[in-house]
Amino acid sequence: MASTIVTFELAGREVEVMVKPMTTLQAVLRYQLGFTSVKEGCRQGGCGSCTVLVDGEPMMSCLLPVEDVAGRRVTTLETITPDEGVHPIQQAFIDHTAFQCGYCTPGMIMISKALLDHDPHPTREAIVDALAGNLCRCTGYEPIVAAVEGAAQATAGKGAPR
Amino acid sequence: MTVREYLSPRSLPEALSLMERYGPDLLVMAGGTVAMPLINDGISLPERVMGLRHAGLDGIAQRGDVLGIGAATTLTQLLAQDAVPLLREAARNTASWSIRNMGTVGGNLFTPPPGGDVAVALLALDARVRLAGPRGERTLPLADFFTGFMTNALAEDELLVEIQVPTTVRETAFIKFGRKHANTPAVVTVAIAVERRDGRIGTARIALGAAGPHPIRVADAEAAIVGSALESDAIQRAADAAMRECRPFTDAIATEWYRRRMVGVFVKRALERVVA
Ligand SMILES: Cc1cc2nc3c(=O)[nH]c(=O)nc-3n(C[C@H](O)[C@H](O)[C@H](O)COP(=O)(O)OP(=O)(O)OC[C@H]3O[C@@H](n4cnc5c(N)ncnc54)[C@H](O)[C@@H]3O)c2cc1C
Repeated sequence: MASTIVTFELAGREVEVMVKPMTTLQAVLRYQLGFTSVKEGCRQGGCGSCTVLVDGEPMMSCLLPVEDVAGRRVTTLETITPDEGVHPIQQAFIDHTAFQCGYCTPGMIMISKALLDHDPHPTREAIVDALAGNLCRCTGYEPIVAAVEGAAQATAGKGAPR
Repeated sequence: MTVREYLSPRSLPEALSLMERYGPDLLVMAGGTVAMPLINDGISLPERVMGLRHAGLDGIAQRGDVLGIGAATTLTQLLAQDAVPLLREAARNTASWSIRNMGTVGGNLFTPPPGGDVAVALLALDARVRLAGPRGERTLPLADFFTGFMTNALAEDELLVEIQVPTTVRETAFIKFGRKHANTPAVVTVAIAVERRDGRIGTARIALGAAGPHPIRVADAEAAIVGSALESDAIQRAADAAMRECRPFTDAIATEWYRRRMVGVFVKRALERVVA
């Protein structure tokens, strides 16, 4: 099993990784590049804790061979977090105590970021629909939905940065 | 991970020649939302995998009265079209946003029940599938594509390249009933398409998911409404017939007994939606 080199865009830079065939984007990000916001949850596409954006669209990185993102732009929680302080969606999650153990939080924030980029003023229904693939076993979801509503207000019209 | 090689053909001819070269051991994968979980768990241990993401098999095009849907079109792309509302409704009720961004329409036809929600809608629409292989292409009705539980009419060296949907059908209804509102496997899925002549049902297609070894049509139920004006007793007869004809199963989601009863309930409700 000859390794191959895959190049994609991450945090505004081109990264090059050498991988065994069909290594998942999740494994590359977490274990090779140290982007530990990208959780290894169910590895079945069922929990959403590995959600990242590929060219701005949310995907389950555990189901994505890294070869398929060659030349594309990958966005993770690390890449949207500013050097100083936190992203407005992160702040909204803090303000609404939208987590307890925190395991689902990076995925929740990434899917919320994708939603606000597509739809800066989502209805509650649109938020619930967007979050349907991301599981949280602590909060009961209400604070998360409130956080996304709060983030929408905080970023109103401007969309979420980065 | 034991995969020795991941192949990413850039065209259909290239994909077909790779299939010829490597034979039946080559695992074909489109969005990977069915295949990858099995690989991650070590249930499927392919040596070589061919990914269809870059093979140019995605995209939706209207040609006369037919909507051509490339096999590798994502469920998100299907949700974005408005030529066939029933397919939007089916896509909206399938999986979650991230999975819809990856999973494909073609892949949905290979998904074992209780999956295959889009396939149920396609069956109600009398879709055809276009298959390509070394001996050329052929198209067949989707109803003939399904041959059993996880078996189909595709030859070992063929690929599904396109799904063709007539856009003339106007009266449709879709209901997926699950344990949750969204991102949930079906207890039962019902898709209905009817055409009326002078207020009476001329043709009727009632397709069910999670009620057989693959998406099925229920001929007796269809016959029960043909010629009717969808009066409530005709609807009830169709629901009763569907309950008798369906072949549901027991799994972690629901029992065979419960599914059969829900077939009755949701065929009735879907027909009432057509009336409304
Ligand atoms: C969390 C989660 C939730 C889900 N929820 C639903 C749901 O609600 N409803 C539902 O119906 N499904 C659901 N699914 C299943 C799946 O996402 C969909 O059925 C999807 O449409 C499958 O498409 P795919 O391209 O990802 O399939 P793949 O995994 O790429 O393909 C599966 C197999 O199909 C064959 N195949 C695919 N395309 C072709 C082709 N063009 N030619 C020849 N063979 C081909 C190959 O043998 C391949 O291995 C869910 C999956 C997950 C992980």
